[in-house]
Amino acid sequence: MRPMVKPRREKARSNTRWSSKDLIGLQGVPADEIRALLFASRAYVDVRSDVEDSVLHGTTIANLFFEDSTRTRTSFTTAAHRLRAHVSNLLGAFSSVTKGETLIDTARNVEAMGVRALVIRARQAGAAGLIAANVKCPVINAGDGRHEHPTQGLLDIYTLAEANGRLDDFDMKGLTVAIVGDIVSSRVARSNIAGLTALGARVICVGPAGLAPRSLESLGGRGGAVTVTHELDEVLPKVDAVMMLRVQFERHDGGADAQGKSSPAIASVREYRSLFGMTAERADRLKNGAVVMHPGPINRGIELDPEVADGPRSVILRQVTVGVGVRMAVLETCARALD
Amino acid sequence: MPPLTPIKSRHDAPKNTIAMRAAAPTTCLLIRGGRVIDPASRLDKVCDIAVDGGVITAIGKKLPAPPGTRILDAAGMFVTPGLIDPHVHLREPGHEYKETIETGTAAAAAGGFTSVCCMPNTSPAIDTPELVRFIYDRANLTARCRVFPVAAGTKGRKGLEIAEIQLLHRAGAVAFSDDGDCIASAQVMSRVFAAVSQTGSTFMQHCQETTLTQGASMHAGTVSARLGLTGWPRMAEEIIIERDVRLLRHLRSPCRYHAQHISSAGSIDIIRQARRDGLPVTGEASPHHLLLTHDLCEGYNTLAKVNPPLRESIDVNALVEGVADGTITILGTDHAPHSAEEKSLPFEDAPMGLVGLEFALPLYAEALVHSGAITWPRLIALLTVEPAQLCGLNVLGLGSLKVDAPADITIIDPNAKWTIDPAKMVGKSKNTPLAGRKLTGRAITTIVGGVIVNAE
Repeated sequence: MRPMVKPRREKARSNTRWSSKDLIGLQGVPADEIRALLFASRAYVDVRSDVEDSVLHGTTIANLFFEDSTRTRTSFTTAAHRLRAHVSNLLGAFSSVTKGETLIDTARNVEAMGVRALVIRARQAGAAGLIAANVKCPVINAGDGRHEHPTQGLLDIYTLAEANGRLDDFDMKGLTVAIVGDIVSSRVARSNIAGLTALGARVICVGPAGLAPRSLESLGGRGGAVTVTHELDEVLPKVDAVMMLRVQFERHDGGADAQGKSSPAIASVREYRSLFGMTAERADRLKNGAVVMHPGPINRGIELDPEVADGPRSVILRQVTVGVGVRMAVLETCARALD
Repeated sequence: MPPLTPIKSRHDAPKNTIAMRAAAPTTCLLIRGGRVIDPASRLDKVCDIAVDGGVITAIGKKLPAPPGTRILDAAGMFVTPGLIDPHVHLREPGHEYKETIETGTAAAAAGGFTSVCCMPNTSPAIDTPELVRFIYDRANLTARCRVFPVAAGTKGRKGLEIAEIQLLHRAGAVAFSDDGDCIASAQVMSRVFAAVSQTGSTFMQHCQETTLTQGASMHAGTVSARLGLTGWPRMAEEIIIERDVRLLRHLRSPCRYHAQHISSAGSIDIIRQARRDGLPVTGEASPHHLLLTHDLCEGYNTLAKVNPPLRESIDVNALVEGVADGTITILGTDHAPHSAEEKSLPFEDAPMGLVGLEFALPLYAEALVHSGAITWPRLIALLTVEPAQLCGLNVLGLGSLKVDAPADITIIDPNAKWTIDPAKMVGKSKNTPLAGRKLTGRAITTIVGGVIVNAE
C-alpha cells in the first residue's frame, strides 16, 4: 500500500487556478489548469475518512445518469460522501433520453430543488456542455457519448504520474502511453489524449483500423504527439504504460450485440484478442516499470487476460482508488469556483 | 378526398393562380430605368418593363406610364426574371410547427423568389395525385409565391415500391424525389428512372449511401474526431452518384437526373464526366455548401448540422469551381426549417437542416460573384432559366422576361448592405448558423403575377 497523504490543501506550484464552475472536458484546456486539478487531487487521494472543511458539507449533489453506469456513479457518490455532501441519484429511465429538451428541463428541475452540483452521464456527445450552458450550478461531465470523460482522464494521468514519480509537478514529458483498442468509441481515450498531450506525453493509439483509424492523429495537433498503429507487438517495448480499453460493443453502429460479443467493426473476438489482447506473454515484453491500466469494466479474456489484470504491472485498482480522490478534488474545486 | 378524375394532360393541373391576399393587387406597374438582365433571351440593358393584368406587356426604353400606373424606380438596380428555388421544404402537411406553405413562401418572397419547388418529405409524404392537388390548393389559398410540388418517387418515400409517377406527373408534380432519403435499392432506382423518363421530367436524388452513414451527424474529419461524433464520409455521396450515372448509362432513354445539394469535391468530378458524355445530368449547390465548412460545428453547434454535412475548404472550392466551369448549373437553398426546441437538442439528436430562402441571394453573390467565379448575369441564369428548365417551369413562361409571359420579376439592389438578424426573419423557424453575418446585395422587390409580394 502506498503511503497515505494527509488531507491538506496543497498550493499549486503554478499561479493558474481552475476557474470554471464546470468540468466538461480536457480538450483545449491549458496544461496549467489541468495541473491545478491534479495538484488539488493530491490532498484527497487516499483520504479514507470524511473531510472536515469542504464547502459541500451539508449540500446535495445530484447524479444525473441518463446512461447506465455503476462504478463511475459509485465513485462520485463516495467522493461526495467523503466531502459530507448528500447525494441524489437520478438514473436511466427517469427521463426519455431521446428528448434533449427533457435533458435540459430535467437538469433545470433538479437544480431548482437546490442541489449544489450536477454530475452528468449521457448517451449524447455534448450533453454535459449543453446542460452546463443552461444551469447556474457546477456541472461535472461523467461521460458524454464518445466525447469526453474528464475525471477518468485526470485519474488516469494521476495514476500514471504516481507510478512514474511525477506527483510533484505532473510534467509528463518523456513518457509514452499506448492506448489500445476501441479508441474511436472511447470518451476515455479522448480525455486521456487531450490531458496527456497537454502535459507533454506522447500517445500511441493502437487498434484495428476500424477502431483506431489514422484520422485520430489529428487529435494530437500538428506536433505529432499522437500516432496511430495497428501493430501492438511493435509498441510493447517502447511504452511506459498501456491503457487497455474495453471493446464497446454497444456503441458500434449497425446491429451490435453486447451479449453475443459481436461487432460489425471487428471480425471476431478471437481475431481481436490474438492481435490486441494483453496476454501474459505480451505483458512480459513491456519494459521494466511499465504499467497496465484499464478504465473498467474489463472484458476479461478479450482485451485483458486475468493474469495481467491481477498481475504485478496492473495499476487498475489503484486507478479506482485515485478516482475517488480526483472526483473529490473536482467537486470541491468547481464548487469553490462559484464562491 | 374527391375521387380521382381522368386527366388528359398535365396542363389540366391547377394553374397556380396564387391568391396573394396579403398584398394589394396592382393592375399596372412600370419598372423604370433598371438594368434588365434576362439570360434566357440574352437581354442585358437598361430599360423599362411594363406590367398589366399580371403579365409583361412591354420591355423597352422610355415606356409610357398610363394614368394609374404604379412606377417603380429601378435606377441602379437589376431587374431580373423572378428567382426560382428548386429545393425547399415547406413542411406542410404534417410539420406545420416548423413552417407552412404560407410562412415558407413569405420567406421566399422576402428573398426574391417567385417560385419554389417543395420537397415531398412531409407527413404524409406527397406520393399521391390527391396530395399534389392538396399542395396546389393550399398554395392558392395561402402562398405568397408560386409553389410547385415535387412528388415522391416511391410510395411513402420508403424506397421499396415505385409511386404512381404518371398520375403524379399529370396532377402537376414538376419533378420526383425521395429527398431526405436516398433510394437505396438499385433495382427500385432503375424502375423509378424508367417511369420518370416516360414523363419527360426529372428525378432529383438525395445522394447518401446510408450503410456508410449510420449514426453520422457531421462530416467525417478532424472536428468529428475531436467531438466524438460519427462522421458522414464524402464517399457515401459519391458512391450513389456513381451508381446512378451507371444506371442511366444503361437505360435506353435515361430520365433527367439531378443530384441535390452536392457537398463533396469528388461528386463534382463524376457529374463533370457524365455531362461530358452527354448524359442529362445536373448538379445542385446550396449556399451553405458554397461558403461554410465543418468548423462551424465546433461547440456542438446544432445550427450547423445539415445533411449532407458541411465539409472542408477543398470541397467548398471545388463546388465554386464547378459552378464556374458549368458543371453545376442549379442552385437550391434546401431551405429546411426546424423549431428552436428541436435545435436545442444534443447535437446527435437534433434534426439536420438550416433555413436559407431569405438571404440566399447575397450568399450566392458572395460565394460566386464577389469571389470572381462568375458574373452577375450568370448568377441570374442559375437562379432563373436553369431551374425553370430543370422543373419544366419554362413551358409556363417562368424563368424569363418576355412580353405576354407571367409578370414574375425580382428587383435586386446588388450593393445593399445588411445583416442577418433572426428577429427580422419572416419564416416560422430561424435555424441559421449565420446570424450576424454581413451581406451585400438584396432582393428589394418581388413581383409574382404582377403583384408585389414582399411588401413590408
